Amino acid sequence: MENANYVFTGWVMTGVVLCGYALRIAFRTRRAARSLGSGSVPQ
Amino acid sequence: MSYTNSGKREDGARVASLEHRLLTERNLRVLGGLAVLGLAVLAVLGLSVAPPDRYQGDAQRLMYVHVPTAMMGFTAFAVTTAASGLYLWRRTRNAHWDRLAVSSAELGVVFTTLTLGLGMLWGKPIWGEYWTWDARLVTTAVLLFLYLGYLALRRMIADPGTRARRSALAAIVAFADVPIVYFSVDWWRSLHQKGTLVNGGRFDPQIHGTMLLALLWGFGAMGVAYVYLLARRYLLVEMEEGIEERMLDVAIAERLAEAELDQAASVVETEVV
Repeated sequence: MENANYVFTGWVMTGVVLCGYALRIAFRTRRAARSLGSGSVPQ
Repeated sequence: MSYTNSGKREDGARVASLEHRLLTERNLRVLGGLAVLGLAVLAVLGLSVAPPDRYQGDAQRLMYVHVPTAMMGFTAFAVTTAASGLYLWRRTRNAHWDRLAVSSAELGVVFTTLTLGLGMLWGKPIWGEYWTWDARLVTTAVLLFLYLGYLALRRMIADPGTRARRSALAAIVAFADVPIVYFSVDWWRSLHQKGTLVNGGRFDPQIHGTMLLALLWGFGAMGVAYVYLLARRYLLVEMEEGIEERMLDVAIAERLAEAELDQAASVVETEVV
């Protein structure tokens, strides 16, 4: 495949950004749920 | 003026009930699975099934992610604008619209950043440059900075009602750039290619059938990913608002306790004197 480096970088970047964003939301949600459940306030 | 219009509590309850029925963990997991599956199929279609372009060769395979992410960016900002309008209109004012607006704006920023990155990677082998001061590129970068400004504005205002109203106005103003981005290739001389699917205001695809299938699949897969991420982000905003309220309650309780201690100390002092 010609220009494979550009093509694969683009596709991988898309996957990494979308997965990274989804994971960030998941971690923040877990932390918020823990905080709300325990009644503590994040410092 | 309150964050949620008290006269419209029934509407709020209706939206909350709809929220609880739709945004269940099971539904979200199914949606997330569909998004992953859709994007995996898109990778197969875009990288292997669709033929290389006659002129651009394999570099054109970036189109199957570049164009759908651009469209999702526009869609996300359109949702932000609509939700902001509904928040500003007194009859429909509800905190739900503000949450939807900010959730969608953040996703719009993610998709627009991806669009610019993918466009730069596509531009290098085709134009010989990662970046050029072309109308489409510049207006897209301006759009990104406008909504980054929107998100920054929200962090600067502490009061939820004021924050929601001012940011809603900012979102509506920022959206004026979306049609400029879209029509920039028609209004100005541009290196960027014109519409691939819509020409002269009508649906007129100029590409091979398999390429069209991959591109349309890309819209669907990115659309499902957008809806999934939007739902997750919306629920997170709701939880963070709960924490913010609790922090406020704790701060008020601490100040009240301090005031009571001060009062008790002054009574003791008076008695001693």
